[in-house]
Amino acid sequence: MRFHFQLSPISLCGGIVGILLVVYIVLIATVMSYAALTIEFSQSVKDDEAAVAALEGQYLAAVARTTATNYAEEGYALPIAKTFVRAKSATALR
Amino acid sequence: MRAQFRSRILLILIFLIFAALGIIVRLYFVQIVNGEEYSLKADRQFSANSGGLFDRGSIYFTRKDGSLISAATLSTGFLVAINPQVLADPEAVYRAITDVASTTVSRDAFMSASAKKGQVYIEVAHRLSEEEGRALSAKSIPGVQVLRERWRTYPGGSLAAQTIGIVSYGTGDTLAGRTGLEAIYDGTLSRSEDSLYKNFFAELFSNVGNLLVNAEDAREGDVVTSIEPDVQTRLASNVEKLSIRYSSKESGGIIMDPSTGAIIAIASYPTYDGNNLHSVDPALLGNPFVEHVYEFGSIMKPITMTAGLDAGVITPATAYNDTGCITVNTYKICNWDGKARGTTPMRQVIMQSLNLGASWIADQIGQKKFREYFTGLFGEKTGVDLPNETGALLGNLSKPQQVGYDTAAFGQGIAVTPIQMIRALGAVANDGYMVQPHLASAVRLNSGIERKLDWGEKVRIFSATSTHETIAMMNALNDEILYGGKAKIPTMSVAVKTGTAQLTKQGGGYYDDRFFHSFVGFFPSYNPRFIILLYTNDPKGVQYASETLDVAFLDLVHFLIDYYEVPPDRGFDSAQQ
Repeated sequence: MRFHFQLSPISLCGGIVGILLVVYIVLIATVMSYAALTIEFSQSVKDDEAAVAALEGQYLAAVARTTATNYAEEGYALPIAKTFVRAKSATALR
Repeated sequence: MRAQFRSRILLILIFLIFAALGIIVRLYFVQIVNGEEYSLKADRQFSANSGGLFDRGSIYFTRKDGSLISAATLSTGFLVAINPQVLADPEAVYRAITDVASTTVSRDAFMSASAKKGQVYIEVAHRLSEEEGRALSAKSIPGVQVLRERWRTYPGGSLAAQTIGIVSYGTGDTLAGRTGLEAIYDGTLSRSEDSLYKNFFAELFSNVGNLLVNAEDAREGDVVTSIEPDVQTRLASNVEKLSIRYSSKESGGIIMDPSTGAIIAIASYPTYDGNNLHSVDPALLGNPFVEHVYEFGSIMKPITMTAGLDAGVITPATAYNDTGCITVNTYKICNWDGKARGTTPMRQVIMQSLNLGASWIADQIGQKKFREYFTGLFGEKTGVDLPNETGALLGNLSKPQQVGYDTAAFGQGIAVTPIQMIRALGAVANDGYMVQPHLASAVRLNSGIERKLDWGEKVRIFSATSTHETIAMMNALNDEILYGGKAKIPTMSVAVKTGTAQLTKQGGGYYDDRFFHSFVGFFPSYNPRFIILLYTNDPKGVQYASETLDVAFLDLVHFLIDYYEVPPDRGFDSAQQ
């Protein structure tokens, strides 16, 4: 079978322009999608961080409440004696 | 065949041209015809056109188990802006906003803003929650924009507020750290505005290097401090209680690891809530630990004692003749009670806090050597990572009059910052080595790398022997004198010293009835894990520091022993082991 393939310069340039146009459109779409996703993910991370900060605020408020509690007024008695722990366990278990 | 191929190429070209035309037409409609509508929609989704969303790194507390708790971070929500030119019914819009927003919106301010028809953008409410913002946005009120907003938040409120610092607008329109760690680490915490919106392909073609090794990622990050939130809360609570109880002008406390200089807690009163700066006295925004100098009084005596022992001019067995009062360069110096003790051993200088004993040691050391010790300890700023650190006032040690040295020996006539004082006393606790106090222990870079901060070499000031001899005296003070001997913990040695200094008058001289109280202690005495410095300025109705600060100090000691499970260093017989 005889195969003859010939293109004029105009057709070749037209084809290249077409391909470049498609590539350009794809690039724009990719960049826009990338930017949108970046912003969306970033905002999502910040939202999560803010939610964690709210929980941390609750934790610190709980610590402050615990510190401010007068346990004698709550009916608890002071210990008669205190024995503090040793530096290392007496057993081999750590 | 060729004609057939050409016709196909032609068809493809025609298709591409139509496709391009379609896109151009679509772009025309998107950008020109419906441009304003899309712009408003984008605004609602993201941020105001005037600038990007506020972004900034976090500052963390570090719990004893190493977990991090935010000291300063970001909150997200929404702001409400109006366009007075589009707003049809301001009264109805105001009702719609206040129906969903818990944030107080002043009616007068809103009506005033809506009357400004020459403007197109006025922010009328801030810090709406996620739910409130979305609810208001869903109403799609013409002329009302609901925009994403971020702001700095401090989950601990007033916890270590003066040390963490604040973010605010300065002379320009840029939010930046202005005080505390926010200011000193602003370069690490601040974020470049383009980081989110950069064009990937533009970066790829114009700045390949940045994609591989981003300079900003190597610089920007979060700051991790050594402040422990539970200890900080306890210290702040104690400082507040004593300040209120004695109506003091101000009070403060620092807890530090004397071997590393890591500050575990630092609290002062009065203070402020970093989340609510509207009614804060600007004077409170500064940090008294580095910006104020005080005459600390008798907590200077352990330093004088150690200097005398280190210089070899005294030993623990040395005695001096205590006459109750002496006159030096026409100035009269007396013991706190004015009473003479006769022949007195060195141990009693610390135990009974004898001014004459401290002055006598200064005489024995000599001016040159005494100056060397004190300038070695206080002559330079500590370099702590807080802004606006000031230096000590040591002018009396540059003069030939001996009275300046004699009074400096018991902490009067020279003024130092609290951070300098705890560093100097830390040298006594730390076998004679002076370390650099610091708050930040590491920086967590955006690249994911955690960079530990190096806080310099230790500087030897005293010999270990001299410090141990002084510690024995401070230990005896805790076990035998403090709180009538009840302060003694059988299983833990604690070294302490109290200080009561007369306050200076504006025109010179000292008040007879106004005092500055200070208290220092560390434990376990010979291998301390914590050194605690407390002070209260001008407490009312009380004269001595042993009356004001011992309760707070002992509470902190017991709390720290329990919280960190500090093992006993004495009084634990072998049968129990």
